[in-house]
Amino acid sequence: MKFHFFHLMPYPNLPADFREKYRSVWIDVPARLYDPVDGHRIYHEYLDELAFAEAEGFDGLCVNEHHQNAYGLMPSPNLMAAILARTTTRAKLVLMGNSVALYNPPIRVAEEMAMLDVLSGGRLIAGFPVGTPMDSVFAYGENPATLRDKYREAVQLILRAWREPDVFAFNGKYTQLRYVNVWPRPIQKCLENDFLYANLSYFGYQEAQKVMDGFWQTVARHNVEPNPYRAGFLQFVGVADSDAEAEKLYAEHAKYFWQRCLHVYGGYVNPPGYTSLATIKAGIEGQVARIISRAGARAELAKMGWRDFIDRGYLVAGSPDTVVDRLNDLADKLRVGHLMVLLQFGNMPKETALYNTQRFAREVMPRLRPRFGEWEDRWWPATPKQGAAA
Amino acid sequence: MTPETVRLPDGRRWQVLTAGRGPDLLWLHGVRGIPAHDPLLQRLATHRRVIAPLAPGFGDADELEHVGNVHDLALAYDDLRRHLGLERPVVVGHSFGGMIAAELAAHFPDAVSRLVLLAPFGLWDDARPVADIFAVPAPEVDSLLWHDMTARDALWPAAPAADPKAAGAQIIATAMAMTAVAKFLWPIPDKGLNRRLKRITARALLVFGAADAVVPPAYVAAFARHLRQPEIAVVDRAGHMLPYERTDEVAALIARFLG
Repeated sequence: MKFHFFHLMPYPNLPADFREKYRSVWIDVPARLYDPVDGHRIYHEYLDELAFAEAEGFDGLCVNEHHQNAYGLMPSPNLMAAILARTTTRAKLVLMGNSVALYNPPIRVAEEMAMLDVLSGGRLIAGFPVGTPMDSVFAYGENPATLRDKYREAVQLILRAWREPDVFAFNGKYTQLRYVNVWPRPIQKCLENDFLYANLSYFGYQEAQKVMDGFWQTVARHNVEPNPYRAGFLQFVGVADSDAEAEKLYAEHAKYFWQRCLHVYGGYVNPPGYTSLATIKAGIEGQVARIISRAGARAELAKMGWRDFIDRGYLVAGSPDTVVDRLNDLADKLRVGHLMVLLQFGNMPKETALYNTQRFAREVMPRLRPRFGEWEDRWWPATPKQGAAA
Repeated sequence: MTPETVRLPDGRRWQVLTAGRGPDLLWLHGVRGIPAHDPLLQRLATHRRVIAPLAPGFGDADELEHVGNVHDLALAYDDLRRHLGLERPVVVGHSFGGMIAAELAAHFPDAVSRLVLLAPFGLWDDARPVADIFAVPAPEVDSLLWHDMTARDALWPAAPAADPKAAGAQIIATAMAMTAVAKFLWPIPDKGLNRRLKRITARALLVFGAADAVVPPAYVAAFARHLRQPEIAVVDRAGHMLPYERTDEVAALIARFLG
């Protein structure tokens, strides 16, 4: 099993009455709630936490893209990855990723990702999300009816731009370029199309099982190898001396995340066209939409406490034994070779985040590492290739 | 009304409802489509042949594939108009259909004899923004669209909760319709119509609901500014769904305008 330290970079200063006073943490969250001077401290502490995770032995450092919100302060994850390319040397830089339909032209993404791969000595893992409806449709004004089509075209263009040795013309529906010839080129070779999937769930691995089962059924239907390293899953984790101690350390920050960071106005989570008809017909909803768009579920989330988070698996927390047991159960149920963990969440201060990271790395990670050892991770970037300057 | 599938020579299909006898009247429906029993169309059909096509994407999501923007949309309706042999019909459009009617008349001024726009989308005023019907939880959209919910309950009754299959079909139909509308209205329903309205030569009637919470009645002035001496009416106690909330008044206004 491989372990990735995921950081959302939440804004930790939302007021206690945020839920009551404001309708959404995304899109129309008042900008006056953001303090840029404290923002300076926050960014640097978060970057310290990412660098610390590498020192503690994590395989990957994950950053991602969100817009107009207090939930995650990375409109440009590439800026953060660029810093990490300089401050780290070994861990892979996992961009989770760039919402490619938002870039005009999308080769901007091919260029920046190539820069990051070269800067980091071939340590980039490039993710291509559609982006949440809040980010792609409401903040960036993409048409929900055409977003997925535009996304697919952009991904094709980017992959081709990395692979083709010569200049080519691209006559797309959404992007027309007479001359495509990306400079610089990435160190890593771009693999052929293959199934890789990362599920970012904030509502526990039991909830995610239906989606992951569907993924593995699709893999089986296409008769490809059911290698666990095709899949990753994000889990919130809190490690402490005991289960009771974990509650003392992490309950406040968990509540902050689920009750303030996820306080999204229901009108922003499911614009028409964002969810494909096939998905609607299959009865699958986006994970945030499922919780947020139902008034009952919203009210329930507002009332939840520590026990609910633990019992529902939103958060895996407790002594190292407890955490190992539950993550083994997660690995059994979801069959994921990549475990992404959120060890800083909500308004958790730096010292607690470092404590949690260290205990996870030293007391949990080694016991789970042998999982799926019988499988080869064929997609993992090779040992860094660095020139003399690095 | 008689539903039929019209097939164009190039293979495109349209669902078209037809009723009545008399001079041709092309009805372009609004964001909610055409109800099973449409009282306004029944009224109009007493003196006219009403032809009511279902907008691309409302019945079949794949239809949107070939309609990329409002120009494609105007062309698609003109192709249908020609195929059906409609010579300079009266064109009446409501809401989303009002925008299409205006685009059709602006793209093909000679193809339309009279134009009636009922609470049309298509323009934008920073001081009085059109409501964002896509940023409202699905169950609450109707409270923006309707001033009179009893009219909604009569014409678009909710599927019984005890029938999950019917309820599911209703969710799918609404999602398809709203996706089709979003394709041409998102993120701001101003796709250049203000530059094209002056091309319209047909005499026009503008009707707005005084209580329209989606396209505020103040937009009547914005439309009127670019049209050649349009007739104007603002209907009291009517929301965005005014053809269904104040059917008698709207039918009478149209009848008087058409003479």
